[in-house]
This record gives sequence, C-alpha cells and structure tokens, in this order.
Amino acid sequence: MNTVLSRANSLFAFSLSVMAALTFGCFVTTAFKDRRVPADIHVSKVMLKNVDDFTGPRERSDLGFITFDLSADLQPVFDWNVKQLFLYLSAEYSTKSNSLNQVVLWDKIVLRGENPKLNLRDMKSKYFFFDDGNGLRANKNITLTLSWNVVPNAGILPLVAGSGQVSLPFPDAYETTKSY
Amino acid sequence: MPTKLDYKGQKLAEQIFQGIILISAVIGFVYGLIIEQFGWTVYIVLVGFAVSCVLTLPPWPMYRKNPLSWQPVIPETSGESSQKPQETLKKKKHK
Repeated sequence: MNTVLSRANSLFAFSLSVMAALTFGCFVTTAFKDRRVPADIHVSKVMLKNVDDFTGPRERSDLGFITFDLSADLQPVFDWNVKQLFLYLSAEYSTKSNSLNQVVLWDKIVLRGENPKLNLRDMKSKYFFFDDGNGLRANKNITLTLSWNVVPNAGILPLVAGSGQVSLPFPDAYETTKSY
Repeated sequence: MPTKLDYKGQKLAEQIFQGIILISAVIGFVYGLIIEQFGWTVYIVLVGFAVSCVLTLPPWPMYRKNPLSWQPVIPETSGESSQKPQETLKKKKHK
C-alpha cells in the first residue's frame, strides 16, 4: 500500500469482490419466485394440407396452419433480475405412430422495458406445423401451450411451462378451413 | 516531494476505501432493489469506487502524519573504529 499502483490494485480487487457479492445477493432475492402467470390462448382458424415433405422419409406429410389470438399480462414476471423473456407457443398431440409429439409453432422475445402486456390478434404460426406422417387429420386432441424461458441477470434460467392451454380437434379432410 | 505513505497512513487509506465501497454497496443494493433495476446498483458502486480513488490514490498529507523516526546519523570517528576489526578479519582469512 506504499505506492499508488499498490493501492489502486487493492482498491480495484476489493471493488470487484464486493460487486460479485452484490450480484449473488441479486440472484438470491429472486431465486425462489414463482414465474407463472395465466395466459389466454384462443384459436380462430385451422387449415390442414397434405404436401410434399422433403425432410422426411415419406412422400407426403400433414401440414397444419393455425391462426390464433394470444393475451397475457407478463408484468409480474419482470423484476430487477430479469433481462428478457423468451416466449414460445407449442402444440402437443399423440398419433398412431408416435405417442408424444411436440412442435413449436411461434416464438417471441420480450425485452425488459418493452410493453409486457401481450394482446395479439390473428397471429399466424411462424414455423411449419409438419407432422411425422399423416397424424394430424381427424386428430381429436391437439393442445396448444404458451411457455416461457426467463433470462436473468444472475442465476439459473427457469423454464416455466404451460401457463394457459387450449385443446382443439383438427379437421377431418384436407384443404378445408375450420373456424372456431 | 515525498510520495510514499507511512504505515499509519496506509492503514488509514485502506480503512477509508473499504468503508466507502461497502457503504456504497449497501446503498446501491437497497436502491436497486426498491426501483427494480440492477443497473443502478452498479452505477452507485462505481460512484463509490471513483470517490475512493480520489480519496486514497493520491498521496495526501493526511497519510503522512506519522513518519518513522529514524536514529540520528552517527559521526565519522566511530565509523573508522568499526572498519579496523573488519581489516584484521580479512588478514586472517588470507592465511
């Protein structure tokens, strides 16, 4: 501590250690918080096609098009340890060939500071809803779920599943639009 | 111009910057918790760091209040008498 450099070194290292302790404190204050919020999903239109699928082993697969409404108030999820939320809408169903299928249809990143109240109408799915075969036609029960991933400033990234679900049957024939 | 601190001054400088950083850390943590933004916690700690830099890095006179009191310089005659035993030692070694 005799020279300026020695004092500067000591001061800087102490400040960094204190900053690390504060960051840990920030993590501890939000580690056990429940990040679930109710969300409202409503499907307005479903259309089914049977198209050439070049990514699969068979010639033609089912392709679904969904138009949906989404509303949720995400304000309680944001706190001082949340940087952004990664939302995604996934469809879950079972077919004769596979007992469990999960397909992500749409996603969105909500940064802190942006409007946390979601009120989206007539959204089209962002990603292709391909089935592994022809299992979507006349499927009785396809469940749409909105989930999200919380990206924190410090700590683990919790994956909050299933806050609001809606189940719907798919049309029986191709190229027909079913409205709800 | 003297730029080194004495021992009591070094201890005082260390206590000062540790105290300032810790106080700014507590204030920053509470303020960030209240307004729900961790960025402000970081800003307040950085302000504390800057204040500590100004207060402890330059060699202010308050850190040089207790200089070490060295013994007075011994005059030359006793210096000659201390050289003679060394010379006799050297002669003995040459044998």
